[in-house]
Amino acid sequence: MPPLNYFVVESPDEIGREAYERIVADVLQDLDLIKVVDRLHIYVDPKVPIFVAAGVLRHMPRAIRISDFANINPGEKEIVLDIGDETYLAPLLQNLWARYGKENVDQPDRFTVVLPAGVAGEEDLEHMVVADPSETLYMDVIYALQYIAPEGFKVRRQYIRDEKFYYVASEDTLPADIVETMIVPIFAKMGVTL
Amino acid sequence: MTTLVPVTYKGGVYRHDEIMDLIDDLGGYIVQKHVMAQDVVLQSFVPRDDIDLIREIAKPLAGEVVEAPLVGTEIAVVSPSLEIHHLPHTACDIAEYLRRSGAKTNMVGLSRGFGKRIANLNDEERDVINEHDLAVYALGNFEECIQQKFPVLRRGIHVPIVVTGAPDRETLLRIIDPPVEGYVGGVGRIMHRFKRPEELAKLDELVDEVSRTLDARRDDLARDPLSIFPPRLMAILEERIHEISMLTHPTPVTAQMEGLRVKLPYDLYADGVRSLEVASGVTIGDIASVTPSRMRNYILIRIKPFSETRILV
Repeated sequence: MPPLNYFVVESPDEIGREAYERIVADVLQDLDLIKVVDRLHIYVDPKVPIFVAAGVLRHMPRAIRISDFANINPGEKEIVLDIGDETYLAPLLQNLWARYGKENVDQPDRFTVVLPAGVAGEEDLEHMVVADPSETLYMDVIYALQYIAPEGFKVRRQYIRDEKFYYVASEDTLPADIVETMIVPIFAKMGVTL
Repeated sequence: MTTLVPVTYKGGVYRHDEIMDLIDDLGGYIVQKHVMAQDVVLQSFVPRDDIDLIREIAKPLAGEVVEAPLVGTEIAVVSPSLEIHHLPHTACDIAEYLRRSGAKTNMVGLSRGFGKRIANLNDEERDVINEHDLAVYALGNFEECIQQKFPVLRRGIHVPIVVTGAPDRETLLRIIDPPVEGYVGGVGRIMHRFKRPEELAKLDELVDEVSRTLDARRDDLARDPLSIFPPRLMAILEERIHEISMLTHPTPVTAQMEGLRVKLPYDLYADGVRSLEVASGVTIGDIASVTPSRMRNYILIRIKPFSETRILV
């Protein structure tokens, strides 16, 4: 695993600590999140029992607009969208259908979408947000942490906002002040204030 | 009396029927036959003195005969749950490795086996595990958790148990009380396929631990032998109940060390099985108990020892 800028696993059980280091490396690699996570600190104590993961993401990908993957060619009668990359074609069609109606959106072949002229301005189309990868990235990060945490730790609290995230889980009820007592100090170790 | 030893024959499909006939003629038994594309794997029992003969005959067919200590055993690999945390790695890798040594393995994914305080074993899981020759428990990373949950997971289990976990063997020995039959340390919750040499060495260690445990059981059985050798009863059943040949299971009759699992519905076939004559005047009902299995609607046959029946077929 290429090193994160900061990666620490803490646990009173040394063998468990080593095992968790390997689990984190495997999971982040499997889910392709190594490039996304910048700093990660995990604390796991089976005696309490508690599992805490806190970290910082590298950067959140920005929203994808039509101009990022298609050329817009306005003609006299119709506007032709020339698709360069199919990745976001499905959400694009969904968006166009919702906005202009299915009868106005024609797709003669895989890489071409045609709209009648006049229903939309070129500017509008260029800036139309088609997908927001950060939405699924949030879910991926939380899923990874759920996957890393011991399975029995079903009571959990999770947070992800502005590139900072934490995930606390336990078998028992979590104390109300868990964020102040456990997570803030862990963020402080990474040099970040929550 | 000739001693039958468990071996695996690996070779091509071409003329493998000759090997099957040979094993049959020598008085051996084939307990499982796998055909995978061009390859055939036969799990069988053959007379010790005749292994060289089989090797010689198999040579032109590029077949090889290797000793497989676990042939004729059915082993349960118990995983704390069927979630992605515990599967597919560890549990499946263990099961696959045991299968290579000849065992028939079944995965038992517990419904609530995870966690430290909340781990549980229900009656169905307990009964299913007890229908095997041995159970391998694939446990996790923390000493504390294994110590607390294992007594719950073994409650009511009377088959031998081999435990795997991340703590080393000595720690496992210390925290598990009363002791179980085998321990393999250094195998915890692993999220990748076992491929590094040290991981494969652990699997070898597990196979050794399992075969040591089963050998001890075999020694006990030698002192008070079963009324009939399970693979022999298996051959009789396959010959006499023609419905077995129509089952699509990979092992329509599964051989165990002290019995058989017949994958026919109990309600329809149990009486027929019980009254089936294995030798003149001796029926299966005389030498074995025929009971419903907790696994689907199968039939479980447990062969009684000689000391109980005074019959040796």
